[in-house]
Amino acid sequence: MNNAIEISVKNLNLWFGKFQALKNVSIDIQKNQVTALIGPSGCGKSTFIKTLDRMNDLVDNVKTTGEVLYQGTNILDSDTDVVELRKQIGMVFQKPNPFPKSIFDNVAYGPKVHGVRKKHNLNEVVERSLKAAALWEEVKDRLNESALRLSGGQQQRLCIARLLAVEPEVLLMDEPASALDPIATSKIEDLIYELKKDYTIIIVTHNMQQAARVATNTAFFYLGELVEYAPTIDLFERPRDKRTEDYVTGKFG
Amino acid sequence: MARTRYVRKLKELRQNVMDMGALTSQSVQDVLTALETSDAALAERVIANDDVIDNFDRKIEAQCMSLLALEQPMAKDLRIIATSLKMITDLERIGDFVVDIAEEVVTMAKPIRIPVSATKFNELVTEVKSMVADSIETYAEGNVQKARRFEGRDDRIDFLYKHIVENMVKALAQGQCSTETVADVASLLYIIRYLERIADHAVNIGNRVCYMEEGDRRYLK
Repeated sequence: MNNAIEISVKNLNLWFGKFQALKNVSIDIQKNQVTALIGPSGCGKSTFIKTLDRMNDLVDNVKTTGEVLYQGTNILDSDTDVVELRKQIGMVFQKPNPFPKSIFDNVAYGPKVHGVRKKHNLNEVVERSLKAAALWEEVKDRLNESALRLSGGQQQRLCIARLLAVEPEVLLMDEPASALDPIATSKIEDLIYELKKDYTIIIVTHNMQQAARVATNTAFFYLGELVEYAPTIDLFERPRDKRTEDYVTGKFG
Repeated sequence: MARTRYVRKLKELRQNVMDMGALTSQSVQDVLTALETSDAALAERVIANDDVIDNFDRKIEAQCMSLLALEQPMAKDLRIIATSLKMITDLERIGDFVVDIAEEVVTMAKPIRIPVSATKFNELVTEVKSMVADSIETYAEGNVQKARRFEGRDDRIDFLYKHIVENMVKALAQGQCSTETVADVASLLYIIRYLERIADHAVNIGNRVCYMEEGDRRYLK
C-alpha cells in the first residue's frame, strides 16, 4: 500500500465567531487513497474539508489555528495563492452545479481560465477529462448541448470532469452522491475507485455504507473533534472508541 | 437509544442462539447419560430432538441474513451476527455428533463392557460436557477470559483421546476382548472420536466469542 502522506493536518482549530467548529484536529491524509469523513450533522466534517482548499475564507468571522501542510507549506498562511491552491485541491459539491453552458464549455472553462487557448489543446483536455470521469461515451456526440440537459448523475460526473481538466492533485467531495439515485451513485462510486489511482480523494458522506465501499481510511468526527481515524475495515468492524461504535451501529442519541 | 426495533431484533437473535446452545448442551448431557446408564430409550429421544436443533439452525440463519440484508449492521453488532451465523453451524454439527453417539448407544450391549480403565474415559466425558456448556455460557456472557481457556482444555481432550484409543487398540491386539466385547469397543472408538470432535466445536465457539468481543480476526484462524 502507498503510505505517502499528501496532506498533514496538525492541531487544527477553527472558530466561527465564538463557536469552535474544529477542535485540535490532527490527521495525515494518504496520497492516492480515498479518505472518508463521517459523522453526524454539525460534527465539523464539511468545515474540515472546506479548510483544505480555504473555502471557509468566504465565511465572515472565521479564525483558524494550527497547520495544514500540503507540498511542504502551510496552506493556512496568509501568503498562500488561493487560486492556485484550489486548482490543485478541487472540490465537488453535494448538488451538481454545472455552468449554464455546453458540456464542452463546462470542461474547457478551467483550462481556459488558466491560459489554454488553442482549440486542439482544449479538445484534447475535454476528451481526456470526460473519459477520466467516465462520461465520454455518453456525451461524445453532443458536446455542444447544454450541460443542464444531462441527468443528475451525468451532471455530477461532468463537475468531476471539469475539476480534472485543471489537473488537480487532490479531489474533495462533499456528499457527491447524496442527491443521486442508486445507479448514478454506484457510477460515482466506481469512478472514485478508479480516480484514486491518479488522485488523492477526500469524501464527506452521511452514507456509512458508501464510506465502507469506497474509502481506504475513514475518519469519524463528532462535535468538532476527530474521534477516530483508522483503516475503513477497522473502523466499521472494530471501532476503538465507544462514540464511534454508537455512531456506526446507529445507536446515537 | 435509537433503532429500538433493530436492537430488539439483535437481542432476539442472541436469545435464540443461547436457546439453541442450551438445547444442544442438554442433548450432549443426555446422550452421555444414555451411554453411562445404557438407556436406549433416552438415546432415541435424543435422536428425535435433533430436528429441533436443526430447526433452530435454519431459523437463526434466516434471522442473520435478514439483519445483514436489511439493517447494515456495523462494529460489534456485525460481529455478533457473524459469530452467531458461524456458531450455529458448530452447534448443529455438535447435534449431529450427538445423534451419531446416540445411534451407537442404541446398538451397544447393556451394560457396556469395556476392556480399559474407566477413569480417563469418564474424565473425557465430563470435560466434553463441561466444555459444551461453558462455550454457550461464554457467548451469553461475552466472557473472553473463559473462552481463552478452551485451547488449553482441548489439549487435555486430545491427550485423553489418544490415550484411550491406544489402550483400546492395545487391548484388542492383546486379545483381551471377548467376541461380545469387540463390538462395544468398536462403538466406543467411534464415540470417543465424536467426543473429541465435539470438543473442537466448543473450541471454535470460544474463539468466535473472543472475536465477537474484541474484533481480532486472528481468533478466526
